[in-house]
Amino acid sequence: MNTIAQVGNFALNGLREIRYLSAITGQVLFVGVKPRYWTRAVRTEFYRQILSIGVDSTGFVLYVASAVGILVVSQALIWLQVIGQSKSLGALFVTVLIREAVPILTNFLIIGRSGTALTAELGNMRISGEVRVLDTQGLDPFIYLVMPRVLSLTISVFCLAVLFVAVSFSSGYLFSLLLSPTISDPGTFIHSISSSVNPVDIVNFLAKSIIPALFTGAICCAEGLRVETSFAEVPPATKRALSRSVRALFGISALVTLLTYV
Amino acid sequence: MVRACRARIHSFKIAMSLLSCAISGIEKAVSNSRTHPGLPGKKGGLSQAVLAFKGVSTEPSPFFDTPLWDVSFRLLQGQLLLVRMERGRFRLPIADLAAGIIEPIDGSVEFLGKNWLELAADDAAAKRAKMGRVFEGQGWINFLDVGQNITLAQRHHTKRTDTDIEAEATELASLFGLPGLPHRPVSGARQEDLNRSAFIRAFLGQPALIILERPTRDLMPGILPPLVNAIRVARDQGSAIIWTTSEDLVWRDPGIDATFKCTMFGARMNVVAEEK
Repeated sequence: MNTIAQVGNFALNGLREIRYLSAITGQVLFVGVKPRYWTRAVRTEFYRQILSIGVDSTGFVLYVASAVGILVVSQALIWLQVIGQSKSLGALFVTVLIREAVPILTNFLIIGRSGTALTAELGNMRISGEVRVLDTQGLDPFIYLVMPRVLSLTISVFCLAVLFVAVSFSSGYLFSLLLSPTISDPGTFIHSISSSVNPVDIVNFLAKSIIPALFTGAICCAEGLRVETSFAEVPPATKRALSRSVRALFGISALVTLLTYV
Repeated sequence: MVRACRARIHSFKIAMSLLSCAISGIEKAVSNSRTHPGLPGKKGGLSQAVLAFKGVSTEPSPFFDTPLWDVSFRLLQGQLLLVRMERGRFRLPIADLAAGIIEPIDGSVEFLGKNWLELAADDAAAKRAKMGRVFEGQGWINFLDVGQNITLAQRHHTKRTDTDIEAEATELASLFGLPGLPHRPVSGARQEDLNRSAFIRAFLGQPALIILERPTRDLMPGILPPLVNAIRVARDQGSAIIWTTSEDLVWRDPGIDATFKCTMFGARMNVVAEEK
């Protein structure tokens, strides 16, 4: 009975957490479309976050994208030659990269690079009284801190995912030229990719890039602002934000795959 | 001939009196337009309660050195409440209660006629825009530079141009002994400059209520004349002021001209002097 109660409590807590995060995400979208909340100060903070989360992460994401393109193509070429399907490289890229790897990897990189930093920043601000200073001046911390961070993280993840696709395809193709001189010309390669992309793939790519990023932003901000009394609470909050964001990422990605392809 | 001259002198006097009436009317209009929007100036004749504490009590909190018990006062436009704190008990919840950041366990706090507990979040934020404050502890956002910190609330709440805001801030900076609006990171600024910059932020935009929490610490005695001068101007324009202090020099300074003088005794606030 005790075990059943524990399982029940665990499930209920999980549901409450999902409801709480959905409420934050919904509220961010709700206030984000209202122009009156986009004051000069909020816009400046939004641009600052785009720079910090998106632009500053570009080099790192480009490096990983190039490496992924090379790794995928080296394996793909070997196995496609074994089964005599070398010309299916484009279709394989679409299946492996656009459908699954790129949205998850981009989200993963941003969680590690910016999401945890965001939690630590907000946690420190809370302890040092900066959130109270904002509140006292009539700047709602949700509008000034949470909304720009969640939206800029989401936009950054989407843009970086598009960039990831372009760079991994390019590096993959260039590497395949080195490995196999008989590979098709660039036009044929691009055509084979574009002809393999279905509208469902685009919906899937958008959903897997944007929805987990929204939840990552909400989780990292919520964990940061939950810190209350001591700087010692910041590292555990950061760890919690990391594990919850990763769980949300894989959970949402699996759900989107089920909804779009099954 | 003499009658004609007298008639001319009489008509000249009437014209002059009409002209002087018109000039005083224009002066009054200009004076009223300089006060905070929605807040008739003190000189306009209408005086409303800016802040009212009604039997306010708070519970002990690690964030404050002492709670409050049954504190009541009413601060009108242009009035100044000087509060002397007990030694070592500098963190009082008065400012946070006045700003509606914390809730009393008993009693109510009204700002510009509205109880904080009855206001929606957006309305409360808009009301807080009408306050200026020098914070007791760390009062700066670290990811912004000092200048951005100073102008943040004005850029968020008003449609004034950046140039206009910065011009007023620069004027206040020179009043408080800074060469201009500081643009250093908060972590790289001298503590004295931060203390002076806090005045610029508190007085910027002619707030309805200015809360000064031990504003003269580390800056005495040089800061007193410009501060008293700035307070006099703000009071003339209709701002109410709360000033907490622990310094004898401030408490005894006759130039401060406080409307009420109160001392803290534990959680109680006792009125010791009231302007007639």
